[in-house]
Amino acid sequence: MSELFVALTPANLLACFIGTVLGTVVGVLPGLGPAGAMALVLPLTLKMGPTAGLIMLAGIYYGAMYGGSTTSILVNVPGEGASVVTTIDGYRLARKGRAGAALAVAAIGSFVAGTFSVVALQLTAPLVARAALAFGPAEYFAFALLGLVLLGNLTGGSRAKSLAMVLLGIMLSTVGMDPLGGTIRFTFDLAGAQAGLSFVAVTTGLFGIAEVLATAAERAPTTPVARVRFRELYPSREELRRSVAPMLRGTVLGFLVGLVPGPAATIASFVSYGVEKKVSKHRAELGTGAIEGVAGPEAANNAAAGGGMIPLLSLGLPFTPSTAVLLSGMLLMSVTPGPFLLRDHPNVFWGVIGSFYVGNVMLLVLNLPLVGLFARVATIPPRYLMPAVLVLCAVAAYADNNNVFDVWVAVGAGMTGWAMRSLGFDPAPLVLGLVLGAVLERSLVQALTIARGEIAGLWASWPAALMLAATALAVVFPVVSAVARRTLGTHIGRGRQRERRHL
Amino acid sequence: MGRDRWSAAGLAVLAIAYLLAGRRYPLDTLATPGPGVVPLTAGVALLATAVWLFIVAGFVGAGSARPARDAGGLFEERVAPTRPTESLMQRPMRWTARALCVALILYTVLLPWLGFAASSFALVVIAARLMGAPGWWRPIVLALGVAGVAHLLFARWLGVPLP
Repeated sequence: MSELFVALTPANLLACFIGTVLGTVVGVLPGLGPAGAMALVLPLTLKMGPTAGLIMLAGIYYGAMYGGSTTSILVNVPGEGASVVTTIDGYRLARKGRAGAALAVAAIGSFVAGTFSVVALQLTAPLVARAALAFGPAEYFAFALLGLVLLGNLTGGSRAKSLAMVLLGIMLSTVGMDPLGGTIRFTFDLAGAQAGLSFVAVTTGLFGIAEVLATAAERAPTTPVARVRFRELYPSREELRRSVAPMLRGTVLGFLVGLVPGPAATIASFVSYGVEKKVSKHRAELGTGAIEGVAGPEAANNAAAGGGMIPLLSLGLPFTPSTAVLLSGMLLMSVTPGPFLLRDHPNVFWGVIGSFYVGNVMLLVLNLPLVGLFARVATIPPRYLMPAVLVLCAVAAYADNNNVFDVWVAVGAGMTGWAMRSLGFDPAPLVLGLVLGAVLERSLVQALTIARGEIAGLWASWPAALMLAATALAVVFPVVSAVARRTLGTHIGRGRQRERRHL
Repeated sequence: MGRDRWSAAGLAVLAIAYLLAGRRYPLDTLATPGPGVVPLTAGVALLATAVWLFIVAGFVGAGSARPARDAGGLFEERVAPTRPTESLMQRPMRWTARALCVALILYTVLLPWLGFAASSFALVVIAARLMGAPGWWRPIVLALGVAGVAHLLFARWLGVPLP
């Protein structure tokens, strides 16, 4: 536990500061999300050593959650998917002249939720890691499969499209050397593909280059930013009193949603807003500029970011694109996340958790006085910002293996990502399929080998059986509920027609 | 054929090509699964998903509301709002993105020949101009800054052997 103070060394404090500032800027800028930004700076962090490097990457991850609210409130443009809900009441509060109060409540809510989630992470991650020591290949296979199926159900769009993206990701993960036998697959004699497709190249392409292409295709005009004075940042006593309960509700909800695979931060903010619409005393005001509509969702998305770290640190399984990049960074730094992380690299484990505490304080201190400055970042015209992002994407992809082949992969992924977006396919499940595909294949082959070819060996233990049952439920339930809704809808429709005839 | 059906057909073609390419990898036995097992499973699953997407796209297309313009009036049941017509401003922008794709391909081709600094300079100038930067001076200054900083950061500080 004393390793928590590793985060307080000057080098780690600097890494945390740079990470949180970069994260805030990324959160403020519409488009380039934390996953893309983390992939861009991955080569830089390799030079810093595992603890400082991962602290910086983690800083970008949770800093983006803070920054996303600034432009949602001031400009009505969410910097992050997780801040979309904040625009509803945040921007209306700004138009009422309460922008400062909304920003302060968002920052305080983020701080409260961030701190709660770190405490919960600190307490639960070692317990989960200890429990995971009993996990064998069958349990890992079941858990990875459950994660991918749940992700398909939770990404918001079409389930079939999400599933197709997951499968495409798994197919891409089979390029290169087979994880157990060493057979070279699907490389078509390209030397650069023998070690598999570079995760950094695919991520920078899908989230960086695709974003630049989408911006070029849409070219939205920049919105003027409302000026906020420092003295206007104090929320009134009434606003603070009304924010406490939504903040606490959002914190607990967000943390729980963060444990579930999928775009947890975005889902958590929507769930929190939905809960406030049902339980808040001032629910009638929601949508017209109510402080509850900022406090709850902002707390929820920050708590979810902390919750999402538990499966990564204790099981080595990332369920969001950002944690997938973090996993990739850990592996590049020869740190294997999972049950043995605490035993093998206690400095990294506790250093990263300690940096969350420090980072939360830094973000609160930075976000309140510098909010105007961060908001101005959002007004940098894309015609100057995006060309620079293109070059950074290319160099980040190249630097992964010092190979031009990876630049080709990034460019290909970028163009495919842009086409996918315009056809309504979300790239996030593809990235997770790419990461979890290798885990899935390795654990499946190992489990079958241990069970001497008996398929039943996949569900021989109760955790594996439970997770496979949950997977089956996650596949069957949406289909059954859709059929039930349709049947019920037909009956109701017929009933109404009969009523009309009677009338 | 709608966009969803085209994308489903594309996915099906991809799955079939992947399955054909994966035929050379042995499946072996369940006790010792070979390198072909996961590719076969993933390929078949993607093909099935693509077929499902194709069917659903047709079903949705047939059952969904018709645009008001096509329905011929406002009194038709299940009438959707007329699809907004693409503004004249949007068309050149889509071309901008396509031109940017060509610039990126040329950049990757020229990267080993021209080197990182020169090709990145050219990419930034072209991208900035395509995205609407006025004049030549600003894109040139931006390109010098971006290529210079990236070179200093990656080649000098991090020791990445940039081409």
